Amino acid sequence: MLQQLLQLVLAGLTVGSGYALVALGIHIILRATRVINFAQGEFVILGGLLAYTAVSACHLSVLVALPLATAAGFAIGLLFERLVIRPAERSGELTATIATIGTVYVLLYGHALIWGSLPQPLPFFSGGDRDVVWHAGGVEIAAQQIWVVGLLAAALAALWFFFERTTYGKAIRAAADNPLGARLVGIDVDRARAISVAIAIALAAFGGTIIGPITLVGGAAGVAISIKGFVGAIVGGLDSPIGCTLGGLFVGVLEQLLEAPFSYGIADPVVYSLLLAMLLVRPQGLLGSRRAVRD
Amino acid sequence: MAALLELRGVHAGYGRLAVLHGVSIDVQAGELVAVLGPNGAGKSTLLRTISRFEATLSAGSVRFDGRDLAARTPEAIVRDGLLHVPEGRQLFAGLSVDDNLRLGGYTRPRAGLEQAVADTYARFPMLAERRSQEAFSLSGGEQQMLAIARALIARPRLLMLDEPSTGLAPQIVEGIFELVRDLKRAGTAVLLVEQNAYLTLKNADRAYVLENGSIALAGSAAELARDERVQAIYLGGAADEAGE
Repeated sequence: MLQQLLQLVLAGLTVGSGYALVALGIHIILRATRVINFAQGEFVILGGLLAYTAVSACHLSVLVALPLATAAGFAIGLLFERLVIRPAERSGELTATIATIGTVYVLLYGHALIWGSLPQPLPFFSGGDRDVVWHAGGVEIAAQQIWVVGLLAAALAALWFFFERTTYGKAIRAAADNPLGARLVGIDVDRARAISVAIAIALAAFGGTIIGPITLVGGAAGVAISIKGFVGAIVGGLDSPIGCTLGGLFVGVLEQLLEAPFSYGIADPVVYSLLLAMLLVRPQGLLGSRRAVRD
Repeated sequence: MAALLELRGVHAGYGRLAVLHGVSIDVQAGELVAVLGPNGAGKSTLLRTISRFEATLSAGSVRFDGRDLAARTPEAIVRDGLLHVPEGRQLFAGLSVDDNLRLGGYTRPRAGLEQAVADTYARFPMLAERRSQEAFSLSGGEQQMLAIARALIARPRLLMLDEPSTGLAPQIVEGIFELVRDLKRAGTAVLLVEQNAYLTLKNADRAYVLENGSIALAGSAAELARDERVQAIYLGGAADEAGE
């Protein structure tokens, strides 16, 4: 029983890592632009598909495809900001948020045109077609699960270092905190926003590539990934990066724990009800501040 | 000698709202110049037009150090050495005092920044005490000092202060004027918009009186302090407001 529970928690943390990266991406874009990007999950899929192409068509190792897909995500993020968010934001944040919903469907059908509508496999990071599995006290631990959780931790450390310890990272936070004040000290606010969006989309592409070997990449999964990441962000607190991370992991674990004993079909309604419940009862999230809601 | 800052026939405002109607002023290098005038005269808009902070120029020219500012981005203007501390201060409320200060030096080379931060803490000991606090937790006077200190880290050649003393205790106001005198001694030009006409005229080299978006009077601070209209409206008014 305990082994079974541990098994589910481990699986939940793995899937939840993807939601955590989506939640963080939503947080970063919201901070910088006041726009909620509902297409975040679609960029997860796009990143995974780009990695799939790098592996299957260009015969690259998936470990090479990972930084390539992440860098491509960054570049696509710059385009997304310049072509969608920035022009739409001129008519208001709500317009821009709706434009991200439009982006969901452009990407969804775009992916189907290029890669087909069926999910594609990505090789496991250790072992290729079949993952390496260890048995520890009755619990099966797959190498990919270690990769996912370890790479999530590495991404979090890199983000923390960038935003807390580098001048440009602080300048981006300053531009998000007070755009007018940022202009007064000579920060290029438009550029700071573009870089913020690019980082968020790079995170999504990174997430799609590390989770891809477990979930397959492509198909119509992006919408659910977006919404579950969003639930994670709301549960943890949209304005708190730690809250977003823990919230995303929590949603992943909750989903696994609900699915196994109650059979498939119960997890999604519960997770989406959680979104409504949180918005009604504690809109700032468990780790967010009241200030964020009023802003 | 060409002036450091030179405005000629400036018309400016916000969108279709015209606030300034043909304003011409000069600030020489190292000079302390004041702008007085009633509320709504366009004093803040004047500074906002110069730094391209929200207000937009519709006619006329603004030149800083010989460069036409209409062709420069707000970031480039900061890099040129023209710094603006607006009303409302525009601090980074959620960032620490230390981060606020260091971001003030965003446009300058990293070399020398540590020394400048250390000098700033020596000059403003109360900021040193609060260096790791978030800026929103400071008192009004401390926030004003931080806003000025953040601008000074960028090594301005011209510092524009918009009503730095408004809403602050007399002791803090005196501290701000002392700081302005220090800046002048160090050769930094200051363009000061103030409500406190008495202290302003006592410290300034020259002053302009702005009324309804146009320059109504101009001259040395000493001349203006003797002017009957200025005495009646601003110095009298300042005495009334002193109780606020």
